[in-house]
Amino acid sequence: MKLLWQIGILFGVCFAGEGIAKLLPVPFPASVIAMILLFILLISNKRNESRLGESADFFMQNMSFLFIPSGVGIIQVFDSIKGSLLPLVTICIVSTVLTFAVTAYTVSGVIKLQEAIAARRKV
Amino acid sequence: MNDWLSSPFFGIILCIAAFAVGVYIQKRFKTPLANPLLISTALVIIFLNVFDISFENFNQGGQIITMLLAPATAVLAMSIYRQFAILKKYFIPTLAGCLAGSVTSIITILLLCRAFGLDETLTSSLMPKSVTMPIAVGISEQHAGIASITVAAVVLTGIFGAVFAPVMARLFRIKNPVSVGVAIGTSSHVGGTTTAIQMGEVEGAMSSIAIGVAGLITTVIAIFL
Repeated sequence: MKLLWQIGILFGVCFAGEGIAKLLPVPFPASVIAMILLFILLISNKRNESRLGESADFFMQNMSFLFIPSGVGIIQVFDSIKGSLLPLVTICIVSTVLTFAVTAYTVSGVIKLQEAIAARRKV
Repeated sequence: MNDWLSSPFFGIILCIAAFAVGVYIQKRFKTPLANPLLISTALVIIFLNVFDISFENFNQGGQIITMLLAPATAVLAMSIYRQFAILKKYFIPTLAGCLAGSVTSIITILLLCRAFGLDETLTSSLMPKSVTMPIAVGISEQHAGIASITVAAVVLTGIFGAVFAPVMARLFRIKNPVSVGVAIGTSSHVGGTTTAIQMGEVEGAMSSIAIGVAGLITTVIAIFL
């Protein structure tokens, strides 16, 4: 029953997220709204974390498993993208590497900047 | 036979079996190239082809698994909550990194698509590929992209991130676990995060946080494109 209750809360949050997404004037992904709702639930009551613990861990630990059917879905569109396969793969890889580098250097840079400002304040 | 295979249990069992093989191979060879998601996806595709089973039959069960991606995304709130102290400490660097990364991702994709002469539909389908699946598909459809191409690009990006995140961290000499985590989450969403979690608690937490933040930022940018 405990696990059933946890799943009930999670699905309820997702369902509420979908409802709110339909009401918003701009297109906004329902799962992100569900994430925000769940976060509000967590900070509103400290006990909510342990109430959701097990099922949340289940989803987090098996996240990559959940992507298998979507990955297999590639066979459905394969014929239409066969001709531009090389550019598609190249674009995915190049942009991922560049995004990784820019993000990492930005975070490191801003952390160093903050430390420098903090150090100057101390002096 | 076809009638029997259209049971939702078939697709779910096939995925679990393929994933078990993938996890076993990864434990056996201990190389990031032996990614369980990559192996199991390939195994399922080969299985369907060899036994001539339609994607529709497979997807009776498959769509149930895909549906669970929504609660799995929501649960990211849990990892943000658990690492709230770190997020508060690194709030501005995280926000700046996710913003810079999301903008980089969108601009490089738009420029590369133009360079390769890809049409509008393909460009729209690729544009949100660095963010997590449900967000990316939403943005793609909103811009007249093709959802399944977006799914393919998102999965490819996720697998690439999962396999090469440690290599990229070494290549760019990123030592700070906060920077590594945010970079993985921003560039390769949940796929890369599975590797980030294995790299360390801070990497995993920052990566999970970055999925949400980069997803939010990309959604907002996409509204104006």
